[in-house]
Amino acid sequence: MFRFQSLDEDCTLEEEDEGLIQEEDEIDQFNDDTFGAGAIDDDWQEEHKRLAQLDERDGLGLGLGGEMGGESNSGGAEDSSSTHLPSSTGHLPQPSSIPSLKFSSSSSGPPPPDVEDRGGEGDLAESLARLILEADPAIAGVGAAERPGPSPSSSGSSLSALQGLDLPRVLPSILHPTQPHQHPHHLQHQLPPGPSTSGLPPGPSPSSLLSYQQQQHLLRRGTAPMAQMNSHSIWENSMGFGPVSVTPGLVTHMEDSPLMSIIKEVGLPKRPPQSRNDEGRDLSERVPPPRSSSPVIGSPPVRAVPIGTPPKQPMSHALNHQIHHPTAVHVRAPVQHRYPPPFPERVSPNTLLNIANSPLCRGPFPPGVGPVLSQIQRAQLLNSQVAGFPHGGPAPPLLPGGGFRPFFGGPPPPLGHRMGPPPPHGPPNHTPPIRHNTTHLHPQHRRMLTQRMQNRGGDRGRTGLDRRSRDPYSNLMTQKEKEWVTKIQMMQLQSTDPYLDDYYYQNYYEKMEKRQERERDSSKKEHTTKLITPQVAKVEHTYRPVQFAGSLGKLTVSSVNNPRKMIDAVVTTRTDDEEKREKQVWNKRRQILYTVEKMYSLLLEVQDFEKRFVQVPEEDREALLEQHKTNTLQLCNSLREKEWDDRVSDEQCVMIMSVRKGKRLISRLLPFLPSPQAAAIVMAISRNLPALAKKDKQDQVLCWLVEPISAVIQSLSSSALTDLLQELQGNEGQLATVLHNKFGVTLLYLILSEGERMQSSDPNCQLMDDNRWTELVFSVTRELLSVPTSSLSSPLFTPPNLLSLFSRYVDRQRLELLQDKLQISSLS
Amino acid sequence: MNYVPGTASLIDDIDKKHLVLLRDGRTLIGYLRSIDQFANLVFHQTVERIHVGKKFGDIPRGIFIVRGENVVLLGEIDVEKPCDTVLQQVSIEEILEEQRLQQQAKQETEKVKTAALKDRGLSIPKADNLDEY
Repeated sequence: MFRFQSLDEDCTLEEEDEGLIQEEDEIDQFNDDTFGAGAIDDDWQEEHKRLAQLDERDGLGLGLGGEMGGESNSGGAEDSSSTHLPSSTGHLPQPSSIPSLKFSSSSSGPPPPDVEDRGGEGDLAESLARLILEADPAIAGVGAAERPGPSPSSSGSSLSALQGLDLPRVLPSILHPTQPHQHPHHLQHQLPPGPSTSGLPPGPSPSSLLSYQQQQHLLRRGTAPMAQMNSHSIWENSMGFGPVSVTPGLVTHMEDSPLMSIIKEVGLPKRPPQSRNDEGRDLSERVPPPRSSSPVIGSPPVRAVPIGTPPKQPMSHALNHQIHHPTAVHVRAPVQHRYPPPFPERVSPNTLLNIANSPLCRGPFPPGVGPVLSQIQRAQLLNSQVAGFPHGGPAPPLLPGGGFRPFFGGPPPPLGHRMGPPPPHGPPNHTPPIRHNTTHLHPQHRRMLTQRMQNRGGDRGRTGLDRRSRDPYSNLMTQKEKEWVTKIQMMQLQSTDPYLDDYYYQNYYEKMEKRQERERDSSKKEHTTKLITPQVAKVEHTYRPVQFAGSLGKLTVSSVNNPRKMIDAVVTTRTDDEEKREKQVWNKRRQILYTVEKMYSLLLEVQDFEKRFVQVPEEDREALLEQHKTNTLQLCNSLREKEWDDRVSDEQCVMIMSVRKGKRLISRLLPFLPSPQAAAIVMAISRNLPALAKKDKQDQVLCWLVEPISAVIQSLSSSALTDLLQELQGNEGQLATVLHNKFGVTLLYLILSEGERMQSSDPNCQLMDDNRWTELVFSVTRELLSVPTSSLSSPLFTPPNLLSLFSRYVDRQRLELLQDKLQISSLS
Repeated sequence: MNYVPGTASLIDDIDKKHLVLLRDGRTLIGYLRSIDQFANLVFHQTVERIHVGKKFGDIPRGIFIVRGENVVLLGEIDVEKPCDTVLQQVSIEEILEEQRLQQQAKQETEKVKTAALKDRGLSIPKADNLDEY
């Protein structure tokens, strides 16, 4: 009861709200039906019985005209119609698909109080129909749209007005003569439906019943699109179907609520005023609040409906009716010229059909003809409705100027003009030749196509269509669906690079063209036409997150489409030169390592020689020895830079020593080398000590060399020793560097101590023969004194005889200084 | 051709009688009612036709939805063209029986063959395990 009153109040509002009203109404119906809410108190079966009795009383002999006069008449009409309403309930098990119907049955509950209001019209059936009329905003809305302000009492005028509308007129207009003066607000409801429902069409009753249902839905759909007309988002949410891209009100009818929730979400920011009216509805199931985590915000625009979804069929149940009751619906030639402008271009085919399917049209046609034509005409209707509408569906992305246009842009305008009387040629359901948009095809191709079509058209047009006309199940796939599939297929054909995607097609026609040109001779000099296949501009689809100019920092919104950047990775590209240099360095190092490895393997064999020699039996010892010799030789050779050069290569040594492993290698190798070579190596080491010391800074493994070197030194001759010392001193300042290094100091001491030992042990050693040794020692001492203590590194060990050495060469004063500096203890 | 000039489409085949051969070897005959972009097919008044030798039998199946990837071939049937009189239609039970016998015979030969190969140390993998490769 309450809700009806609220409806009444709301009806005075604008059209847009009527959509909402209607949705509320529908929701209530929903609840009513689904949950059997308290509205219905009495048993529908009893209701049915009662109404059936009524039906027996009154016949169906009502004419279509505007006979509003006799209440009994209209009452009777209404009775019959209302009778059929409950009966039809039995036919249709789906609760959701026919809310109107349920509503009608359910409204038998609330009517009684209203009935009393109406001045005690005891006929329940009457009041039932009345309530249907007044409470059905769809009908009211439809009428309201067209309402030019007809006078309530003049039924005829209103009737004619509505005839102009070509609205369905199933519902009887019982109320019409009685109502208007009573409730002014009801007026708006009643008026349009009143005349519209002036009577029943002639013919079997089930037909009227079914058509009523369809029309109910139709009108409901009709209002919604109208309401939608006022909204600006038709195109944005367009799927090619009015009902789908929908006002929130119609969502209830939609069976695909997740889909709708997306639509809702997209549509939501644009429709704040409507949301206010939606209090009564449960929004939680529809739209997630536009929080920062919403995929919409901060993301590229989301398609309202994904491409792959098939077109919605909100009126599918109506279709089922038609199929199950083939005799019920007689659809005839659409009366297109009578379509009211308020209807939007894209109305579902069922909708249109049912509009056209009004009782008015039904007169002249005999029953018994199958329902088949409906679908075809529906398709034609749709096409005509689509006239002037460039896209049948969402536009393919970024079309170039005259590039690709969906083919169904072509047919509607020509079709539209041909509507009305059925085409005179061919069977009644012969589809008129559709002019396709073939601009994207090669002209040759187009020519061939048209020829082919003409040939085919004449041949098998008749028989096939004839057969199909008799097939009651034909055209289950509506025109819309066919278009949808072809649209997808065409979209797949779009390419940014036709020569890549459609190579053979392009080449074939190119060749054909060339051939033709050759034949045609160059007199014409035609410009070779470029093949145009549906092309899509190559668009950068990289997503750039929303940025605000002049703001500090970035937007913190992150969603599925633009997740937070966890790492701001920056790519640093090196220049070629740098890379080359680096590569070189690495290559050299690798080479060194490789050499070292090889030497190691030889060295290991050499080292193991003794062990093996012992184990191996007599016969093989010879061979082993030989092998050993070769190995040693090889080792020596490897130290040389070139094979023929006897000298140990400095470079090679240094190279090897630059690697930690190399140093180790040398230290192990030295004992096995023949003395001259070993000496040479030591020389090399001392010569290059600064460099080696520098390289060794990280590794600090030079000291490994101390032991073997000391062994070598001890085997040196005096002259060699002198040379060694000289080498160690090397250039200017080398000694200083040497002294900085632990190893260097140690080496120095070793040399000196060896010299001293030589001198002390062997009186006729040749060390003193030339002044070199002395001079060298002098310079060493000088250096030692001059070098600051801090920079002097302590040796690994201090040979004991250094003091005596120095005492030979330096005076007492200096000796003491040296002693302090070097912390050389006396020989005690 | 009607809807998508220059390309091939199943749109024009709608509401016509078709014969489809599926990947599992079944032959279905029915009226093609609906398609989609994957060439999934909806058949109406479908009949499965089993052929064994010169005999065939029709099993009415009602409505079939065939997933597009399982179709081997699909062709329109010309209802006006006179049927082949070489094939003889038999009842369902008979044709199923014939089919069963045929399968049995096949299996036996297969068995013998594999046994012979096995003796020689060879083995040929079964086609059904290979799928399409």
